[in-house]
Amino acid sequence: MVSDIILGQYFPGASFIHRLDPRSKILMIIAYIAAIFIINNLFGYIVLGAFLLISIMNTKIPAKFMLRGLKPVMFFIVLTGAFNLFLTTTGKVYWHWSFLTVTDEGINNAVFMILRLFFLIMGTSLLTLTTSPIMLTDGIERLLSPFGKIGIPHHEIAMMMSIALRFIPTLLEETDKIIKAQTARGADFESGNILRRVKAMVPILIPLFISAFRRADELATAMECRCYKGGKGRTRLKVLKMGAIDLFGWIFIVVLFAGIIACNIFIV
Amino acid sequence: MIKLENVTYTYMEGGPFEKTAVHNIDLTIPDGQFIGLMGHTGSGKSTVIQLMNGLLKPTDGKITVDGSELWAKDTKMRDIRFKVGLVMQYPEYQIFEETVEKEIAYGPSNIGLSEEEIKDRVAKAAELVGISKELLSKSPFELSGGQKRRVAIAGIIAMEPKTLILDEPTAGLDPKGRDEILYKIKDLQKRMNITVIFVSHSMEDIASMADRIIVMNKGRVAMEGTPDEIFVRSDELINMGLDIPEVSKICNELIEKGYPLKKGIYKVSEAVEEIRKLKEKR
Repeated sequence: MVSDIILGQYFPGASFIHRLDPRSKILMIIAYIAAIFIINNLFGYIVLGAFLLISIMNTKIPAKFMLRGLKPVMFFIVLTGAFNLFLTTTGKVYWHWSFLTVTDEGINNAVFMILRLFFLIMGTSLLTLTTSPIMLTDGIERLLSPFGKIGIPHHEIAMMMSIALRFIPTLLEETDKIIKAQTARGADFESGNILRRVKAMVPILIPLFISAFRRADELATAMECRCYKGGKGRTRLKVLKMGAIDLFGWIFIVVLFAGIIACNIFIV
Repeated sequence: MIKLENVTYTYMEGGPFEKTAVHNIDLTIPDGQFIGLMGHTGSGKSTVIQLMNGLLKPTDGKITVDGSELWAKDTKMRDIRFKVGLVMQYPEYQIFEETVEKEIAYGPSNIGLSEEEIKDRVAKAAELVGISKELLSKSPFELSGGQKRRVAIAGIIAMEPKTLILDEPTAGLDPKGRDEILYKIKDLQKRMNITVIFVSHSMEDIASMADRIIVMNKGRVAMEGTPDEIFVRSDELINMGLDIPEVSKICNELIEKGYPLKKGIYKVSEAVEEIRKLKEKR
C-alpha cells in the first residue's frame, strides 16, 4: 500500500538526462514550466508533448511507472477540469442546466488546464526520477549559494532538504512495519465511524513519532561525532561540473522554446 | 496446521526494484511442535512468516490455516491473525500505551473479550514472560530494552494464539536476556501445548529446543528435518552462510583430525558423552 507512493523515488539509470548536471536540470525544469504557461494553442502542446516523449524515452523509465505518479493527483486534475468545463459562463453556450453551463470557452479552458497539470506533473516527476536526492540537493545548494551573501542559510536549507528526502523511504518503511505489527495484534483500521478510525490511528502514530525523534537524535549525535558544524569551509567529494552534455541539453531547450514561440505567433 | 502450497511472493511488482523474496514454496507446519526457521539475512524467512498470518498477500499460491484458505472471500483475516500470533522483529518499537497493563491488553481487547477475561489474560501473559506485578502500572517507556521486548511479546501471548511466531526475538539482547526469553518461550510451548515457529539466523538459539528445523536459502526451502538430520549436513549450512553451534564446530574439527566421533553432534551433553566413550575405548 505504502509502496505506491513514488514521491522522492529515484529510478537509477545512465541516460543523457540522468547524466545532466543537476543545476542544469533544475533550471531546465523551470524553463519547461515557463514553456507550459507560455503556450496559447494546441500545436504548442504537441511540440511540448513530443519533447516530453523524447525525454521519457531517453530515460528508459517505463511509461507505466511514469503514469503511476499521476494516480495520487488524478482527483485534482479531474476536479479542475470539471470546474473549468461547467462553471465558465463566457463564450458560445452549448448546454445549460441550473448553474452548470458548457461553453466553447469552458471546453477550451478545461482542456488547457488538464494538459497543463499533466505536463507539470510529468516534467517534475521526470526530474526527481532521474536525479538522486543527493544530486538534487547539491544542485539546489549551489543554485542558492549566491543568496548566501544576503543572509539566506543556503547550506542549512539544502542539508535539511537532503535529510528530509533521505528519511522519506525510511519513515515509510517504518510506518509499514508498525501498521503490520498492530494489524497482527488485531487492529482494525477499516470499520467504524470517523472517530473510531482516528482512534485506531493512535497505535500507529505514537510509535512512529517516537521512532522519528529517536532517529533524529541518533543522526544529530552521529553528525556531531563526525565534526559536522555547518557549511562553512566544507569541501565536496564530488564537485559538480557542467559539460558538453549540458550544452546539448540547453540547445534542446532553446529549440523547444523556438518551436513553441513559432506556434504562438504563426498559428492562431 | 498451517499449509503453504506453491507460494511465491514478489516485492514491488513491476517497479524498478522488483524482487522475488519467496520462490514457489511448499511447507506444512503441524500442530504442537517447536519449529526453528533459519536462514541467512534476505533468505525470505521474514516474508514467509508474514504470509502465514496474512500480513502479506502471496503473488501466487495458496495458504491455509486450520483448513480455511487465506485471502478467500469468506475468510475473516482478523480471526486468522488471532489464531496465528506474530511477534515482529524488534517488537518493542510498536509499544504505544500509557501503562504496561494497557499495552498487553491491546491485542485481547481487539478480540472483543470481557474486561475480566482481559485482566486475567494480561496477568497470565505478564507472568509467563517474567514481568512482575509492580511493573504493570508503570509506563512501558520507562522500562529497559529487554523488559520492553518482553512486554511486547506478552502482548501477543495474551491473545492466546494457537500458533506463536517469533521473528528473531533475541536480536540485540545480551546473553542473559536471550537465554531468559528462549527458556520462557520453550516453557510456554510445553505448558500451553501450542505451535511455536522461532525465526533466527543463529543455530545456537534453536539447536537445543526445536523439534524440527526448516532452513531457507535464497527464497527457497533448502532443508527440512529434525535437528539430528540437519546438523549432519553442517558443511551445507556453512556454505549457505549460516553458523553452526560451537560444539558442532569442535566435534567437526576432531573428526577432521581423525577421531572417530559421531557426525552431527549439536548438544554439549551429547559431545561430552561421545568423547567420554571414545576415551574409555582407548
